[in-house]
Amino acid sequence: MSNSTTPPPAPPTGPGSPREVPPAPGTAANGNFPIDPSTLPPPIRDELLAADPVAIDTESDELKDGANHCPKCGATDIRQRPGTDLLICLFCRNEWHGQRVEEEFGLGEGLDALTGTVIASGARDIDDGASSLMSFKCTGCGAEVTVNTESAMTARCHWCRHVFGVNEQVSNGAVPDAVLPFHIKKDDAVARIRQFVDKRRLFALEEFKQQFTPENVVGVYLPYMIVDGRASAEIVGKGEIKTREYTQGSGDKKKTYYDADVYAVQRHVDFTVDDLPLESSGARGNHDTSANTNNIINTILPFDTRNAVKWNASYLSGYSSEKRDRDVEQLRPRLEDQLLSIARCQVEASVGRYDRGVRWERERIDVHGSRWVSMYLPVWLYSYHQPGRNGGMLHYIAVNGRTGETMGSVPVQQWKLLTAAITVGTFLEGIALWILGSM
Amino acid sequence: MSDDGGLALLLLGPAGGAGLYWMLYRYYRNTDKSHAFERETTVDAKPVTGAEHDRQVDEVKGTRETRIKGDNVGDYRDRVERMRNDST
Repeated sequence: MSNSTTPPPAPPTGPGSPREVPPAPGTAANGNFPIDPSTLPPPIRDELLAADPVAIDTESDELKDGANHCPKCGATDIRQRPGTDLLICLFCRNEWHGQRVEEEFGLGEGLDALTGTVIASGARDIDDGASSLMSFKCTGCGAEVTVNTESAMTARCHWCRHVFGVNEQVSNGAVPDAVLPFHIKKDDAVARIRQFVDKRRLFALEEFKQQFTPENVVGVYLPYMIVDGRASAEIVGKGEIKTREYTQGSGDKKKTYYDADVYAVQRHVDFTVDDLPLESSGARGNHDTSANTNNIINTILPFDTRNAVKWNASYLSGYSSEKRDRDVEQLRPRLEDQLLSIARCQVEASVGRYDRGVRWERERIDVHGSRWVSMYLPVWLYSYHQPGRNGGMLHYIAVNGRTGETMGSVPVQQWKLLTAAITVGTFLEGIALWILGSM
Repeated sequence: MSDDGGLALLLLGPAGGAGLYWMLYRYYRNTDKSHAFERETTVDAKPVTGAEHDRQVDEVKGTRETRIKGDNVGDYRDRVERMRNDST
């Protein structure tokens, strides 16, 4: 194969290059440098101790003290106006629009020239010190829930509905770069969930139907990394073109045979992707359908992430949220996997002449540049816990808070489903026997 | 009718029952769903290259298979051997 492979494009070099397995961003600044920097000569020490460059700083000075003031009257009683991206001051009724991060930080531009790993300030490695927003570990179920302490000192866990207070804080928090406010209102979400379940009632678990109360749906901001990338992919395999088709034998012994030419096939494609969403919560990123139904939440992607606004905790008033617990380096394998899938999709049209298909055997992805922005995305979640082995199964019905796309997992009543399947099978078998008998 | 045909007809019942079960189960539980990022992400790709290097290496005579063995051209998420940067 090696003689037919074109030389790969020169790998990107320099700091932050994916080919050099870069250290986790901010490692030196965190004091993880192998030698104590203070023992080194001053010029080197100063370099090592200097702050790491933050490519895009989405931190907002005006929110640093944790108080979100109305720009007109200075009041802090601010909420999102339902169904819009507007914030409204409940004191003076002033309304204003959050700044869109797409323009503010130039996130939609420069994809063709993206080099190295660019990490927005809110997507940096998780550290202590979130001020206005605090994360709590629920004493009821252990889930991590983020609370805007400006508007509430108590909160209700959106998983187990346990109420807990500020004294149960866990010692870190991660404020994202941007937030995409809810557009779909609760009534709309309830209607969509009802509509979804109404199409799946016949074989649904009896207890699920009895306890079905879509009004209990919870608006949750889930953490995602929104990734832009520039990559090249090389894919190598074998393809076959049919040259002849013929039949041999006669009657019942008639068989069709094919002749084909086998080709060594290779393809190369350079591409950029814009706003690929990756779950930045370890639990949500686990899509093992035998143990959870997180794939449901994954299905309602994508969001119109270009309309995301600069982080302002006021958007979270009245909503629940989950905290990010994955850093950029931990998500990189997932990014590469998805970029490879995208590349395979892109090259499919170019192998159309291989009418007997192509078997790809080896593939390579070179990520020349990636840009990571941490974002809270709005999801309406209805959950039902089905008891069973290994803690049972938590079934979700999720509604995209922007597009209204709805997906869900409805638990089935196994005996009903089996009875229906066996009945239909028996009926079909009866027809088959009747046909055989009448011959 | 041939033996093959009769056997196929006898399998109609079990196959139909199992098929219905599987179809309904997936309709309720949606275990096969996920984000179709291959289609739903904005991808800006330069023209695909490499077709000029395709060359015939072998031929197959008299096979009964209608597709190449291990055909994965549409199975984008089926990961195959990764070529790393230090190998070609």
